[in-house]
Amino acid sequence: MTSLIADLDLAFKALSPRGSDWIAILPELGVAGLSLFALLQAMVVPERLRWLIPATARAGLVLIAVMALAPEAAWRQLPETQLFGGLIRHNLPMDGVRMVFLASALLTSLMAGRFLTARGAGLADYHHVLLAVTASFMLLVQSDHFVPFFVSLEAAAVGLYVLVGYLRRSEASLEAGVKFLVAGGLSSAFLLMGMVLVYGTLGGPGGGDSLAFPVIAKALAAGKGTALTLAGVAMIMGGAAFKLGAFPFHSWIPDVYQGAPTPTTAYLATASKAAGALSLLLLVTGPFAPLAAKVAPALAGLALLTLLAGNLAALATSDIKRALALSGVSHAGFLLAAVTVAVARPEATAFNYSAENVVVLYLLAYVIGTFLTLHSLAGVPAAEDHRRPLISLRGLIRRSPSLTAGLCFGIGSLAGVPPSVGFVTKLLVLVLLVQAGLWWVLAAALIGVAVSIHYYFGILREAVVRPGEDREETAPLETGTVSRFIIGALSLGTLVAGAVMLAR
Amino acid sequence: MEHTTLAHHLLLAGLLFALGLAGVLVRRNLLVVYMCLELMLAAATLALVAFSRFNRTMDGAVLVFFVITVAAAEVAVGLALIVALYRRRGTVSSERLDVLRP
Repeated sequence: MTSLIADLDLAFKALSPRGSDWIAILPELGVAGLSLFALLQAMVVPERLRWLIPATARAGLVLIAVMALAPEAAWRQLPETQLFGGLIRHNLPMDGVRMVFLASALLTSLMAGRFLTARGAGLADYHHVLLAVTASFMLLVQSDHFVPFFVSLEAAAVGLYVLVGYLRRSEASLEAGVKFLVAGGLSSAFLLMGMVLVYGTLGGPGGGDSLAFPVIAKALAAGKGTALTLAGVAMIMGGAAFKLGAFPFHSWIPDVYQGAPTPTTAYLATASKAAGALSLLLLVTGPFAPLAAKVAPALAGLALLTLLAGNLAALATSDIKRALALSGVSHAGFLLAAVTVAVARPEATAFNYSAENVVVLYLLAYVIGTFLTLHSLAGVPAAEDHRRPLISLRGLIRRSPSLTAGLCFGIGSLAGVPPSVGFVTKLLVLVLLVQAGLWWVLAAALIGVAVSIHYYFGILREAVVRPGEDREETAPLETGTVSRFIIGALSLGTLVAGAVMLAR
Repeated sequence: MEHTTLAHHLLLAGLLFALGLAGVLVRRNLLVVYMCLELMLAAATLALVAFSRFNRTMDGAVLVFFVITVAAAEVAVGLALIVALYRRRGTVSSERLDVLRP
């Protein structure tokens, strides 16, 4: 008995975190700290200093982003280094991944300031939850074990339910929150059941901790998988595909994106989609890599159907937020296509970028395009946030040239017009598809691009070409200096970022 | 207890999971739908404990605690949303959720 306790003691000592482990996740700890700090400020800061809360959150995010990119820093670990006794490992290119999440959180905060104040909703709670969700997402994509994977995924999901239903006085926001809750709960239940099946069928006496990704990969490579294991793998991938919004798990997307407050819509479209794509990439290149021969065709099929379903559904929509939601589904198709290449032909490269890096670059471009478009859209007044029909943009060019310019650059980048960053990243994915010889997916992607031109430019036509009718408002719109600065900076980003990516 | 095997436990967990899924798909009352979601999580937890016991690995039993904690947080947020919706709309029937449509 004493020897057993001594063994346990040794085991605990071997697994207990070292100081260097904590430093490796310092950016994530920083974001979580900012989240708690927002709550603390809400308790002590007087009413007239309330602007401090979003301001500190934004300054903190910028600082953490600079810190995360510092060369030779201890929080940029090689994939070989096990952290926290094998719970955390930096398998993905962490620099780009962290930037995706930090930029999404920062831009969401910048959008939320004006938006929530105008609707009488508190900023402190919003920032608290937003930053907590961001920290969870950042930990999710470094998991090397199903326990941190499940816990951070669920922590993020619970926070997102709050962010979607944040406008308590709006029926649309609450309805979107409840719909997201039921759909999200269903996907978590499947994800958990899948994890349990994989754990149970691969584990056994002496088999090691079959919740750890390397142990799962080893057991699958040794051919230990049964039909039940495959069912579990399918359930897990379904759960991740739900987050990404891939076909056939995309039915929640239009309703939730339309009803959520616009800043939350932007965050869902970028950070939540990024988490889905990256966790799927993490799973299929890590623990499920030995199943590549089975996983790759399934992913290719999903990518093909997602590309077609998203674009065709967006064609038939006349609400702008819904159309952008469905176009997001087609972007999920592009991401899935790149993930497929990472599984099917890991050695394929496009302009010296591996498939993993292309996924991250695509997400960065998508963050810029989505926030530019939605930021410009949020500047156009609407009686109800969840009803933004196409005609509400009519004559926008005469009312606000800056918002129209932002919309043009943003939608141009989402549609992939050269020389925007959206074009460059779409090109990277297409080159990867050619190299991997996935011709059917390539065809679907090309059809998708052609179809998307139609609905994307339908939005621009309303804003630029169609004259305002006499009953339409023609009064110029007030755009704040900050708002103009953000639109200008992001527009410049769509032009420059692509060239930077190709030059490296 | 000598006669219960892993298969029995898994069968029960599978039945509970299917029952929960059927409830989510069929029932219209949001509270009942939500209870069925929790039933699905509980079924997964049961399978987890069973595997952990019969495989003689402790990791699954540890995950159970995390699952219970996460489920509690999810219920807290979920019920708050459903109650807020009831206050606004006076109903928790999913058929009446029709503000958002194409």
